[in-house]
Amino acid sequence: MSHRNRRVANARVIFALALAVACGLPRDSDGTLDRIRGGTMRVGFAVDTPWVTDSSGMAGGVEGRIVNGLARSLGARVTWTHGHESELLTALHDRELDLVVGGLSADSPWKKHVAFTKPYHVDSGHVVRSLKAKRREEKHVLALPPGENGWLVYVERFLREERALLASALAAREETR
Amino acid sequence: MSRGAFTYPPEKAEARRKMKRLAWASVVGLTLGAIALASTVGASQAMKTAWVSDLLTAVPAAALIVAMRYELRPPSPHFPFGYLRSLSVAFLVTACVLTMVGLYFLYDSLMKLVHGERPPIGTVVLFGHQIWAGWTMVAALAFSLTIGFTLGKLKMPVAEALHSKPLFAESRMNRAEWMSEGAAIVGIVLVGFGHWWGDAAAAAFISLEIIRDGWDNVRQVIADLMDESPTKLGEHALEGLPRLVRAEVKKLPWVADAGVRMREQGHAVAGQIFLVPRLDGMNAAELTRRLDEVRECARAIDWRLHDVTVTPVSALASDDPPQA
Repeated sequence: MSHRNRRVANARVIFALALAVACGLPRDSDGTLDRIRGGTMRVGFAVDTPWVTDSSGMAGGVEGRIVNGLARSLGARVTWTHGHESELLTALHDRELDLVVGGLSADSPWKKHVAFTKPYHVDSGHVVRSLKAKRREEKHVLALPPGENGWLVYVERFLREERALLASALAAREETR
Repeated sequence: MSRGAFTYPPEKAEARRKMKRLAWASVVGLTLGAIALASTVGASQAMKTAWVSDLLTAVPAAALIVAMRYELRPPSPHFPFGYLRSLSVAFLVTACVLTMVGLYFLYDSLMKLVHGERPPIGTVVLFGHQIWAGWTMVAALAFSLTIGFTLGKLKMPVAEALHSKPLFAESRMNRAEWMSEGAAIVGIVLVGFGHWWGDAAAAAFISLEIIRDGWDNVRQVIADLMDESPTKLGEHALEGLPRLVRAEVKKLPWVADAGVRMREQGHAVAGQIFLVPRLDGMNAAELTRRLDEVRECARAIDWRLHDVTVTPVSALASDDPPQA
């Protein structure tokens, strides 16, 4: 084995080790992910058609489908709580919920108090119903309790990897409109 | 030339050029470090503290560059004592800013600890791989740490050669900086292991370092403004220079007694020599010539001696001026 090859091999070993460590970390400060896996996922939802709709006590719409996919991937049962955005997000901050959906966007002032995921969808043609009704980007996110970084990383990976699920969920948006 | 512009002896001029290069390297390096940190900062308190303090530690270096432009200007009608103290002015500003920012950060991170605010750190996508953002933060911190470590190490010998308090303090500051970045890395890794308080605790620790740095500098600048006798580099102990000059002057056969008081002016040392001459029929012309000689000799004792006034007096009390 030449020096060069050995160096490449060494680099690969180091990279693999780093990856192994990187996969184990981060962990949750409250063990949320471990609790949800094979257990229950406490989800709060605020209706915001077409992102979140109310289908007899459970969330439907784009984000409802995402939540169901997420629960399936973890073998978890979902317990739904219906409420207003502010009360749900307060409960989320106090770690009484594991996830909140409600058509939230990345620039919401709540971003300082709860953990938003990376945007799973960027809506470029969104019309803001403000005085100046102008078009701008809207980055759609889910909200998680702050500091549960293992859980956050899991959800962000899920959103990036499950493109097919996301695509079908977004396609269903037209039906609910 | 003791009332004109201060000049560095040739062997020190090289050190001064090096100092200027280091100051520029600090501004560039620390700004790069701050950019690296700022681009990965996210919601981590320790990271926020680290990047702002990175930028702040570049401020003294920038102030030093400005001060060095003025330092060697000859005295003018407005500033008959010259511009040597521009170094102290630059340092006063820096010291105050450092202390205040440190206090703010301490307050901010302690509040986060008290309220139990947990830092959310998600993922970033890097070259197609989705990894925890904590790792990119650690990488940015390590990059910035290396810069601070190198700068601190390079500055120390130059500061010693020039007996430069500003540069010495900067070197110490770089050291505090890289150590605190090490603390921030520990904080991020603690968060990775699920210890949410690690981040804010590291930030609080970093703030304490900043405050200590700032306070040290404030004390030093205030002492300078109070015309403190020259002190040893990085210490509060007095230098032996005034005593040495006094002893040298007293050796002259025509001097009966001498007293010396000195103060630091930037890199230079200014002061007064009082002496009681043995007149022995010496005329006024002879006396003034000899007083001029004493002034010239001072420069030979130490290159920093500049703007020394020699005053003949008829008598001196033993503690006038007080000797260390």
